[in-house]
Amino acid sequence: MTLPILPTTMVGSYSMPSWLERLKTDYFARRISRHDLDEIHDCAVRSAIKDQEMAGLDIVTDGELRRDNMIDYFVERLPGIHIDRSSKKFYYDFYDSEVLGKIPMAALGLVDDFKFLLANTERATKFCITGPHSLCKRVRNKYYPSDEALATDIARVMNMELKELAKAGAKLIQIDEPYYSGFPEDLSWGVKVLNLLLEGVNAKFAVHICYGNRYGKPSWEGSYRYLFPTILDAKIQQLSLEFARRGGEDLDLFREFSPPFELGAGVIDVKDQAVETPDIVAERIRKVMKFVASEKIVVLPDCGLFHLPRDIAFAKLRAMVDGTKIVRKELGR
Amino acid sequence: MILHLNHTRRDSAAASMSEVVETFLTLFEEGHLSAAQFARLQIYLDWLQYKQNFREPVTVVQTAEAGSGAPSRVDVRIDSRQVSPGSLRELVKKAIGPANTDAGKAKDRIYLEHFHSLRSSIVWSFNQLYWQRLKDWEVATGKSYEKALPGGVSDGHNPQAISDSAKEFWRLLKELETRSQLPPEIFILEIGVGLATRAGMWLDRFCALDQEYGTKYYPHLRFLLGDYSLSTLDRSRPAVKKHIDLCSFIALDALDPIKTLSFLRHKVLHVHSSNMYDNLPDDEVVWRENHLYWVQVRAYIPAEEAAKIAANCGISPTDVLKTIKRLLEVGADTLPEHEKGMAFWMNTWNAIRFEERLVDALDLPDAELPAGLSYQQMEDILKDAPGELRFHLSSGALESFRNTLPLLHPRGYLQVQDIFVTDLADYCMGFYGPGKLDGSIVNWVNGALLREVAHRAGYDLHFAPFQYRAGSKTSILYTTQRE
Repeated sequence: MTLPILPTTMVGSYSMPSWLERLKTDYFARRISRHDLDEIHDCAVRSAIKDQEMAGLDIVTDGELRRDNMIDYFVERLPGIHIDRSSKKFYYDFYDSEVLGKIPMAALGLVDDFKFLLANTERATKFCITGPHSLCKRVRNKYYPSDEALATDIARVMNMELKELAKAGAKLIQIDEPYYSGFPEDLSWGVKVLNLLLEGVNAKFAVHICYGNRYGKPSWEGSYRYLFPTILDAKIQQLSLEFARRGGEDLDLFREFSPPFELGAGVIDVKDQAVETPDIVAERIRKVMKFVASEKIVVLPDCGLFHLPRDIAFAKLRAMVDGTKIVRKELGR
Repeated sequence: MILHLNHTRRDSAAASMSEVVETFLTLFEEGHLSAAQFARLQIYLDWLQYKQNFREPVTVVQTAEAGSGAPSRVDVRIDSRQVSPGSLRELVKKAIGPANTDAGKAKDRIYLEHFHSLRSSIVWSFNQLYWQRLKDWEVATGKSYEKALPGGVSDGHNPQAISDSAKEFWRLLKELETRSQLPPEIFILEIGVGLATRAGMWLDRFCALDQEYGTKYYPHLRFLLGDYSLSTLDRSRPAVKKHIDLCSFIALDALDPIKTLSFLRHKVLHVHSSNMYDNLPDDEVVWRENHLYWVQVRAYIPAEEAAKIAANCGISPTDVLKTIKRLLEVGADTLPEHEKGMAFWMNTWNAIRFEERLVDALDLPDAELPAGLSYQQMEDILKDAPGELRFHLSSGALESFRNTLPLLHPRGYLQVQDIFVTDLADYCMGFYGPGKLDGSIVNWVNGALLREVAHRAGYDLHFAPFQYRAGSKTSILYTTQRE
C-alpha cells in the first residue's frame, strides 16, 4: 500500500465515549456480561475506525477502545503477575499489581484485536502496544533482582506475541514508552530491552515517547535531550514525539544528531480542547520540515485522544489532515 | 408526621425534640392542622452554623412531587438555634397558617427576585458589592473584615502554618533539582489575595530558607497574586513590597483561572488559596427517594422590616426596591448622605430572608450540575448516602477547582485552606450555610464532591485539619497528581 508524503495517523487511542466508560464500569461491577461488553467493544472499535477514515487519515488504528488503560490491558495478559482487583474505583485507573515469580511464556491474545482491525478497514494499519519499560514501572517487582531484569522477561514474552502479530499481517507496530521521560536514568537499559523485544520480528517499528497523558495531563516535564544519543541504538524505523504542546525547541536535536529514523511529529495538542486550525497545523509541519526531510515525517497528534470528547477529537484529526494537505500542496505532492 | 433531627447540638439548641412534638400534637388537637396535613408533615430540626443567615426560625418548604406536579409534601424546617424558648407554637402557627398562602406572603414580604437556584440569587450581587466596597463597610463598622470572622482572626495568616508551607515548597524544589527537573521559572499562584499578608509572610520565610541553605531558588520565583478586584490587588502591594520584583498582580476570575493564565498551563508548581471557596456562588440540592431536587430560593425582606429601614433612611417604603437596585450599582451613594446609604445597605442585608421551594431536577432542563459532574456520577456518589440528604453542590468551588487543576505542573500541588464538609453524611448533622458574615456570604464547601471530581481528573485529594490553632474549623485541602 503506497502512502502519500507526510502520511497522517493517530498515535493510538481514540476518544473514549462517556457511555463506553460507564458500560465498562458497569462490567467491572458485574452489571453486564463479558459477552455484551465484547459486542460493545466491537461496535466502538468499528466506529473509531470509521471516524479515522472519515477524517482522512492514511494509517488507522483500532482506537485502543478495548483497553482500560495503557498498562492493565497488557499486565492482565502477562501470566505470573498478580492483580488486586479491588484496587481501582474506575476502569481507567491503574490496578495495583505485583510480580511474585518468573513470568512464563504465554500468548497474550493481541492478535485477535489486530485481525479485527484488519478486517474492518482497507487502509494501512498500525497496531500499538505498551513497551516493557513502561509496564515494569507500574508493576511492583517482588521477584526479579532489578527493573531491568523484569522488563527483559516481559520483552521475552512480548517478543513472541509480536512475531504472531507480524505473521497475521501487522506491517507497522508501535511501541509506547512514555515512562522513559519519567525515568531518563533507565534509558540505556531501556533501549537494550526494546531491541530484545523487536528481535527477529518482521515488521516496521515505531516508538512513541511523550511526557505522559494520564487523565489528559502530563506526568512529567523536561527536554527530549535525555534521549540522545542513546536512542540512536534502538532498532526502530520511526520515533514519535510530542511537539504541539511543548513547542518545537527539541526539534534541533534532529539536526544535531541526524537520527536515521522517520519522525512521527506531534502537531496536535491533545491536552487542550481548543481545536487547531489547518493553518496552525500546516505551520507546525513546516517548522518540523526545517529540521527533518519531508520524506521522513509522519504527521500525528502529540499522544492518544483517549481523554478528549469525540467531537473535539474528530475535529482535531480533520484539522490535522487538512493542515497536512496544505503542506503537501506547497510541496507539489 | 415524621421528625428529622439534623443536628447533634443538644446543649445549644433552643428548640428541643419534645417541645416540637408537643407543639405539633397540640396544634393538631386544636384543629390548626387537619389529619391530612398532619399525615404529610415532615419536620426538620436544623441547627444553622451561622447566627446571621437567610432563614426565619420556622419556614415551610413546598415540594412538587416528581412527575405529578402536585404539591404533596409540606416540609417544616425549624432552626433549633434561633427559636427562643416558648415561641415555637406561635412561629409554627404563623408558618402553616393562612399567612403562608401566596397572597398572605405577598402582603407581608417585599420580594427582591423570582425563584432561582441559589447560585443565581440577588444575594450574590450583595456579596460582590461587599468585596468591591469593603473599605466603606470597614469604616462603617469600625473593624476590619478579619475581625468579623468567627474568632476574629484568619487562620490563613498563621505564622507557623505559613512557615511550614514555605518549607514544604522548598523541599519540593530541592527534590526537583536533585532530579535535574527544576524549571527555570518557578511559578506560584495565590488566588484571592486579601491584603497579601500571607503572601508577604510566605515570601519572607521562603527567602530566609533559601539564604539559609544557599539554594538560590528565590530569584527564580514568579509569584502571581490573582484577584478579581483591582482595588484589592492595589491594596495588596505594600505587604509584598520587599519582593515586588518577583510579584505579578493579575486580575482574574477565581471561577476560571485557566482562562486568564492559559499560558501557564501545566507550569505552576504551587497554587494556594484560603477562605475563598466558601465565598463562591453555590447551589443546594436535596437527594430524596432517588430523585435530585433543586432548592430554589426567592430573596425577600419582611414588609415590617422594610418599613423600618425606609423610615430610618428617610425614604418612602415604596422606594425600597428602587433604592436597593441603585445600591447594587453605586454602593452607599445610593442615598444623598453616605452614612444613611451605609445604614440602608447594612439594614437591608440583615433583613434579607429566603423563601424556598424544591423542584425536581428532571423538571428543570437548565438545572446544571457543575462541570465535571454528571447526573450518573451523582447517582453513583449518592447510592450509599442516607435516604434523604440536603447538601451543597459547591458549584463555584467545583468550577474554580476544575479550572485551576490544568495550571498545575506535573509535580505541582494545590493547597486550599477553607471550611470543608468532608463526608456527605455530615450534612445530616449540621446546616453549613448559606450564612452571613458581615456583608458577605459564607457556605461550607462540599469536600466530598471535590474529592470525587479530583479523583476522576487524576488527582488525589486529602483533607488535613488545621493543626495550628485549637478549635479552628478550617481544614487544608491538598491535591496532588495521582501516578
